[in-house]
Amino acid sequence: MKSWFFKSEVKNDMEKKEWEKFLVRSNDFKKIFYVNQKTKVRFCFSFMSTIIDENTLQTNILPYLLEKDFNELDDIKLIVPMSDVQISDDASQIEQKIFNGYILVTIETEKKRFAFIAAQKEIVRTVAPPEVEFSVIGPKESFVESIGQNLNLIRKRLPIKELIVEELTVGKLSKTRVGIMHVEGIADPENLNTIIQRIKDIEIDNIVDSSYIVQIISDNKHSPFPLLLDTERPDRVAAILAEGKIAIVVDGSPHILIAPTTLVEFFGSFEDYYLNYILSSFFRLIRLFAVAFSILITPIYVATLSYHYELIPKDLLSTLITSRREVPLPPILEALFLELTIELLREAGARLPTKVGQTIGIVGGIVIGTASVQAGLTSNVLLILVALSALASFTTPVYKMGNTIRVLRFPFLLFAELWGLLGVVFCFILLMTHLLRLTSLGRPFLEPLYPLRVHDFKDALIRLPFSKQNMRPQFLRTEQPVRFNKKKTKDKKQDIDE
Amino acid sequence: MTNRFGVGLLSLFFLTGCVQKEILDDIAIEIARGYDWKEEDKIEGTMLVYNFQPDKSIKNTTLTTTASTSRELVNYLQEQSPEPLSEGSLEVFLFGKKLANEGLIDYLDAPIRNASIGARLFLVVVDGNAKELLNGNYGNRGNAIFISNLLLHNIKYENLPKTNLQLFFRDYYEVGKTGFLPQIKKIDDNKLELNGISFFKTDKIRVIDTLETEKMFYFKLLVDKFSEGSHIVERDADKAVIRSISSRHKMKITKRDPYTVTVHIKIRGIIREYTGPGTLTKKVITKYEKALEEEVTKECEALIKRFQEQEIDPVGLGFFIQTRTRGLHLKKDWEESDMYKNLTVKVVTDVKVLESGVIE
Repeated sequence: MKSWFFKSEVKNDMEKKEWEKFLVRSNDFKKIFYVNQKTKVRFCFSFMSTIIDENTLQTNILPYLLEKDFNELDDIKLIVPMSDVQISDDASQIEQKIFNGYILVTIETEKKRFAFIAAQKEIVRTVAPPEVEFSVIGPKESFVESIGQNLNLIRKRLPIKELIVEELTVGKLSKTRVGIMHVEGIADPENLNTIIQRIKDIEIDNIVDSSYIVQIISDNKHSPFPLLLDTERPDRVAAILAEGKIAIVVDGSPHILIAPTTLVEFFGSFEDYYLNYILSSFFRLIRLFAVAFSILITPIYVATLSYHYELIPKDLLSTLITSRREVPLPPILEALFLELTIELLREAGARLPTKVGQTIGIVGGIVIGTASVQAGLTSNVLLILVALSALASFTTPVYKMGNTIRVLRFPFLLFAELWGLLGVVFCFILLMTHLLRLTSLGRPFLEPLYPLRVHDFKDALIRLPFSKQNMRPQFLRTEQPVRFNKKKTKDKKQDIDE
Repeated sequence: MTNRFGVGLLSLFFLTGCVQKEILDDIAIEIARGYDWKEEDKIEGTMLVYNFQPDKSIKNTTLTTTASTSRELVNYLQEQSPEPLSEGSLEVFLFGKKLANEGLIDYLDAPIRNASIGARLFLVVVDGNAKELLNGNYGNRGNAIFISNLLLHNIKYENLPKTNLQLFFRDYYEVGKTGFLPQIKKIDDNKLELNGISFFKTDKIRVIDTLETEKMFYFKLLVDKFSEGSHIVERDADKAVIRSISSRHKMKITKRDPYTVTVHIKIRGIIREYTGPGTLTKKVITKYEKALEEEVTKECEALIKRFQEQEIDPVGLGFFIQTRTRGLHLKKDWEESDMYKNLTVKVVTDVKVLESGVIE
């Protein structure tokens, strides 16, 4: 009997199925046979041992299949205490399911049918405080590299049935799971359809991070400006979904994309909402000033010193001339030299391990700064300006926009050298025409400045108190433009004792 | 589309030569210029050039030459300068008294035609020689800054009416108005003083009269407004200093054929110093108010008489009447007839002392 059994098993096993041919070449592919102790049904597990959770298999699946009444495949749904059990007769699914962490169960008696039990092993980093968009007050959660965990973080903040996640798979090789989230009844379906269509149309082999998706589905792929906002804060995503925007969650990426977005949104830190509206409006204005300062100050220095000496106040002339007395370079080379030095420092600081990185600060700040002034290569006035503009460029809360601002300074410098302030103005016009033409999901990027939407200023350059924020942004064309009843907020709540 | 844009952008780079480059430390920044009469049809020009010392102090460096026109003069001076002379930062233009008496029209063309020279440039008449004045050493921020600060402070707090290149030429081109400029004098090598206001005849922009320093207060009341002035009022042997004077003037045509213009001058001030018998009661204050009213009326009317006799009109009475009279053609009706000479001007002054200090 035993030899017959064995023979039959071998024989059975020798008939390698089409889908197995490749799988068996991987060492972590496992195929194990078992016999139910009650019904003596012989069944077989096939799975990739590296991506399933063996613990689940040993405690939640195997004991039940061995000891309970197990006659046919449909019984699995009843006896195994797992939520994701699928019965199918479609052999083409097998490979995909196995690589998604399912365990394939087959039994002798039903050759054409298969059962899949989900037992994915999730190696998830613990939820850490946000590093890029850190805030002193407010929640200290940030997204991790797992789509499941990320959805969990968002759903906890919006526990409503209207929050819908649609999942797509992108990438011929990576098979990356991409979830598109929106709140039904608020978000404009047009936006949703645009995103779904664009993501479906993506033709690429490998998606590693959400930044790939940004670059592929942006309205203008040749713009230095990011056209989708990315964030690592669940609170921001939840707030933005409630506003009627759409979030794109990509598996393996701790950054979630938000669309459509506008330029001013990149200069609002989410901490703005945790502070009093007067403070946050002030900080927003400071940030905008910092951006303008960071882009324009060195070009203006170069332009005035090369072309418009008559604009310099008489009291400042002596400071400027004496500080440039020793400098052999014309203003443009002097400025480029310092700007490049700062860029080098920043780049080196970003690439080096944290511990070594500290020395870069010392080397940059003290050695290069002071030494180049003493050596007479740069004037100390410019050194101050460049340092200040570097400092100002760090105030941008969204890292990607900060990078854009870093780069923008150089065309401005070039134009300042070519035509002085006229060139700066010309470059500014070029920048404005570019910004005016940009769209995010077809919605104007410069809104509410252009097209002018006065109502949307409540949360743009400044932030008004929450009682004034009762309407959703106009440019989103939400299905439900009213957020809450403003009348109820207006009444001053009377104390019960009065 | 992108290609066309790129070509357009690239072609712009061929235009780079169209802008003249003047790097700050490779030019000689001219900050003041003086013209003097040398001989018939020759002028002597002096340029004050910024010269910064390594310790940030400023040395006064002047270049001087003689030429027949002001353009020629600049060209000759370029030959003396190690770096190109640039006119963009000019603060003051000085004219020697003798040249001003001859007429300045040929020398004022340069500053109004050059776009890089600011409209707030000061034009000044020098009582004496401009070259000598520029060769002095005043203050520690350079002579030009010294002169312009001297004028600025006198305009803001003292009795000099607002004046600069733009205002002078507004008056010059206005029919029915003539210009005036401040006059300064060198006292010694380290000192200057503001010593009057020169009035110009429009024809060749030549000085016809100079107002004494004591009368400048009344002149400013007529043409400008005070916001921070001060004035001493004398009554018999007593004196009171009125400070924080603010004033407004308003003109009205009260009668036509012949024209009568009434100038209402409103003065508000605070008594800060008083020397006299007894305390400063309300009665006494009223007396001082009356005294100042009479004084201002008398002096202002005398000033206008003086202008009428010399056929100059720095107050702009002719211009004022034209704005209120339909069909009056100033060039024809005014300047060629005796209308200005026969004009009657009345000055009505209203003085109020708002405070008289705290000590009773």
